[in-house]
Amino acid sequence: MQEKWLLAGLSVALLLGTCSALYEDQIKKFDWRGVNVGALKQSRVDLNHFQPRILVSTHEGVVASLCVKTGELVWRQVLEQKPRGDIKLLQVSGFSDDSSETAAAPMGSNLGFDMLTVQGHAPALVRGWNTNMGALEWEWSIMPINTERAQDALWIYSKSVLYHVLPAWRSHLEVTAYFASSGHSTGSTSKVIAPWITQESCTLSGTFYVCTEGKQLISLDLVSKSGQVIRTSLETEPKGKTQALMGLNGVVIVDGKPISVNKDQSICGGLQSSSYAVGSFNYRKILAYADLSSGILRINALYLDNCAPAADLEQSLVFPEHFGTPSLNNFDCKQKRNGEGKNCMFLFSTTSESIVAVQQGRVRWSREEALANVIDSQFVDLPLADSEGTLENEMKGKAGDFTSFERDIASAFLRRITTQAVQIRSLFLHVIGLGPPPTDTQRAGLVRDSFGLHKMLVLLTRAGKIFGIDNVSGKHHWQLYLSNVIGFANDEQMRLIVQRSAKHFPLQPLCTILGKNAVNGNGVLYRFNPITGKVAEGGLVQLDYKIKQLSLLGETENDFVKGILLLDASNKVHVYPEHATPLADGMYLYTADVKSAELAGYFVKYAGGQLSSTHIWNARLGGHNSEQQIIGVAGKNPIEHVHSQGRVLGDRSVLYKYINPNLVAFVTQAPDSTHKSVLNLYLVDVVSGSVVFTMTHRKVRAPLSIVHSENWLAYSYFNEKLRRTEITTIELYEGKTQANSSVWSSLQAPPMPLVERQSYILPTIVEALRETITERGITNKHVLIGTASGSIVEMPWHLLDPRRPIASTTQGREEGAIPYIPELPLPTESHINYNQTVARLRNIYTAPSGLESTCLVVATGLDLFVTRVAPSKTFDLLKEDFDYILISIVLVALTSGSLIVKHLASRKLLKQAWK
Amino acid sequence: MYSKAKFVLIFLLGVVASCWGFLEHDSWITVELQHSLAANSESFSFRGNVTIPSLNSGLANVEQPALSIVDLDLLKKLALGNEFYRLKATVVYSNGAKAQFITSNKACRLLQAQLNDVLWVSLDPSGYVTGITVSQDTAPATVECTQEDVNKLVEKQFSTDVLIRHAELAPVPDTAGFIQKVEREREARERGEVRDNRGFFAKYWMYIVPVVLLVFISGATNQDGAK
Repeated sequence: MQEKWLLAGLSVALLLGTCSALYEDQIKKFDWRGVNVGALKQSRVDLNHFQPRILVSTHEGVVASLCVKTGELVWRQVLEQKPRGDIKLLQVSGFSDDSSETAAAPMGSNLGFDMLTVQGHAPALVRGWNTNMGALEWEWSIMPINTERAQDALWIYSKSVLYHVLPAWRSHLEVTAYFASSGHSTGSTSKVIAPWITQESCTLSGTFYVCTEGKQLISLDLVSKSGQVIRTSLETEPKGKTQALMGLNGVVIVDGKPISVNKDQSICGGLQSSSYAVGSFNYRKILAYADLSSGILRINALYLDNCAPAADLEQSLVFPEHFGTPSLNNFDCKQKRNGEGKNCMFLFSTTSESIVAVQQGRVRWSREEALANVIDSQFVDLPLADSEGTLENEMKGKAGDFTSFERDIASAFLRRITTQAVQIRSLFLHVIGLGPPPTDTQRAGLVRDSFGLHKMLVLLTRAGKIFGIDNVSGKHHWQLYLSNVIGFANDEQMRLIVQRSAKHFPLQPLCTILGKNAVNGNGVLYRFNPITGKVAEGGLVQLDYKIKQLSLLGETENDFVKGILLLDASNKVHVYPEHATPLADGMYLYTADVKSAELAGYFVKYAGGQLSSTHIWNARLGGHNSEQQIIGVAGKNPIEHVHSQGRVLGDRSVLYKYINPNLVAFVTQAPDSTHKSVLNLYLVDVVSGSVVFTMTHRKVRAPLSIVHSENWLAYSYFNEKLRRTEITTIELYEGKTQANSSVWSSLQAPPMPLVERQSYILPTIVEALRETITERGITNKHVLIGTASGSIVEMPWHLLDPRRPIASTTQGREEGAIPYIPELPLPTESHINYNQTVARLRNIYTAPSGLESTCLVVATGLDLFVTRVAPSKTFDLLKEDFDYILISIVLVALTSGSLIVKHLASRKLLKQAWK
Repeated sequence: MYSKAKFVLIFLLGVVASCWGFLEHDSWITVELQHSLAANSESFSFRGNVTIPSLNSGLANVEQPALSIVDLDLLKKLALGNEFYRLKATVVYSNGAKAQFITSNKACRLLQAQLNDVLWVSLDPSGYVTGITVSQDTAPATVECTQEDVNKLVEKQFSTDVLIRHAELAPVPDTAGFIQKVEREREARERGEVRDNRGFFAKYWMYIVPVVLLVFISGATNQDGAK
């Protein structure tokens, strides 16, 4: 009976235990957020406004205002997801293309606008913004009749009127005019017959619709009443696509040369550049152009009226390599206060998705917008401090070399003495200032801390830029840029792999990026030191085969490098570096084709200096006509440790976990005639090829997020019938006996594990799921749920447990399971990023720290959020506010008290004896 | 030629008895088995035929001729080299569609199990085969075969059990059950029928403890008074 009370209390305590949150004074103590806007699309530098600013629109569907001095965000508005949030036009008041002082609405009326954006196509949304605060002031929308054609629609703004240009390829153009700020149509849609237009050859420059045909440009002025077709002949047939020159009406750039098709707009001849921008300087229109040649960026400018060079603006500077190739996006000049000369700011977008501001011949600031698309991340241990490193080196020694024990002791003692002597010497030299200078990493404070919480966060981005970021301070220590390297086929992104960790002092850690050459599709390897960001061991290696699958091998004995096993398109296997090849013997590989949902397994054999692969199994998850497509694959984290082999039941017996490291979950989805959409889950042992378990969901569809760890699996999906997000959890058990407790072999695995399963309602939209991971796996596992609103919720496994009993039985309670409630709670205390919302959250990565209790977390999306979580609280750490003084006082008082009392007691005894 | 038809009744070992997966439209399949008795060879020779007349019942008709001496020697060689014994299974559906599967296991294990093996046929929810796996039931004594182990082989005939793994239907959030439970509890409370089967002390300890304490304290003071 009492036990029952105890258990009830325990389960309450358990529930309370989940409500662990951050204290107010802990905010930003061990977390930080990086805010990004994405790759630059259109920008407007405005230095002459009473509040100088840079207004930008980006490829990620973000409008923002940047601070001119630092590049920091003044405000940011994240629009809807693509395609709805795809920004088609950004128009800032006072910057109309044909110099009409636009938006001729009186100040204070709600008809004018500071800034206008057009986004999406079905519906197309036109929004007016207040540029000082970033507030949305008004909005109107149009819904096109033909939504498919509307994808190609273009928008132009001219004299308070917004023109919607809808091309019908090889036929005509439909032009509809709307009053920009109200959305009222000004008249009927006009059709312009233009049978020459094709998607590849045409651009819109101001009000001119320009197409290339052979050696000539055919253009139409869409606003003029005449509808006259203008033909401009070119010297040679254009090689690339023509681009519009923003700011000049009817000027296009053909193969780096600006050409005017507008007879009212003349352009200087003889120009050749990769990027142009138009601005004003000394109240005259000016054309600036910038080119990068052998690392030097040259900016030149011309007055548009007389084609004279504007010498004041010309400048050249050394442009860092990691930015890639710059392209001039916009610029503006400002009269200096004392009236002499001008101060111009040039804004560049680059191929590495950076935004770079150049002023007075130097890079004033830059924003690393590649971080808006992080595709892989690794936490890398920092190297030891120099002094500790030498000690470590000595301690490691070569103990194996000694044959006699006595010699070992003697030499060990000698070594110890010499090490200490060396240490004392180095300390002395350091004090008098003669010691060896600290290495770069030491100076940057990149030294391992005692708890292993300070690590180097290496982030790989979609643009091919790699960042080394301090996970504590958020400082960017180094950047690298890989041009012409893209993700693999089959929707696989580039990979970031740690080949050697920092554990093997004095060898430096080694990271490798695997990708595909954008030109010929062959594999590319790039090896670098993740602490310094310097190229290591050959750097970029172009392989002569396509990569189909990759796997990591064990460490080699001499240089501790984990080899990479690669399967190429013709099912041959390769190992990189080559000296690790013998380790590939007996490896298994599997491949999964996303489209046909076919799996294949290979066995790798190394014999007689030759690697060979044998196709040993296959599985077809595609159904009858391959209508099923794989939408999710989830294996287990290879560094995971499972501490507990079983689960203690209410009757004190043990249910052993089915811990199969080779188990991979595959999820397929297909439309279905009776159930609308069907989602299948397959658990496949990828060594033996056995389909261990199959489960099907009806009337359920993507978005799918999945997490697979230890003996459990959780995945969320959208229920179409009930229109809500649900999460299904599965636990696998071997049963009451364990087949083989020491070694797992998939070829001799218990054929059918027990499968516990349960579904829950999750009152949010899930974007990412990830389990916490710790060094030894003793700490409880929590599931981190990234939601569409940008928060990260820490969900204890107790709540997701599929063994939560529906009827409140004593057995369930004795097992420590909470009674089943269909809806999972999302208390605000368990949002680990409190109000630091991560916009467009896409993925969460976790890594163990040196402390068993603590797990490092990075959430990526448009923003970046780095923090750490302690699922079972920081049981191995004293609290930050631990009162050392109080405990010392108490200790001292107790000790002295006991001494005094002892003295007094002996005196009393003496007195009593005298009585 | 010494083919022996063998009917195997299958009992699938399920987790929860109620979670049996059954197909809405039962059908039959035949599986043609071919095996490769040479390492890294792409040539497969005929091993036998399996007919499953009803996927729901799981009854299978296995027809396999005995191995020839040459084949047995090849198999022994495979086992000595610790190579894979590879099996190619061609599934023919009732509508004539075909699908090919490959599965492998160590040849050594097959010998140790005296050519007894289990053929797992995994089905997807609409009754199509997703994978065929061959495995052995008995745990092996050693991982690698020696000549001695190989010589222990006396059987010439494969004896194969065919087991079918059906797809199961996923659980849905049990809202109805939960509401019923809450309703039942509420009704029980309203009717005052919450049976309190706790013991006397467990129920009234909060009244008893102060009384006992009071008795103790008063007793102590009385003692003082008595002195």
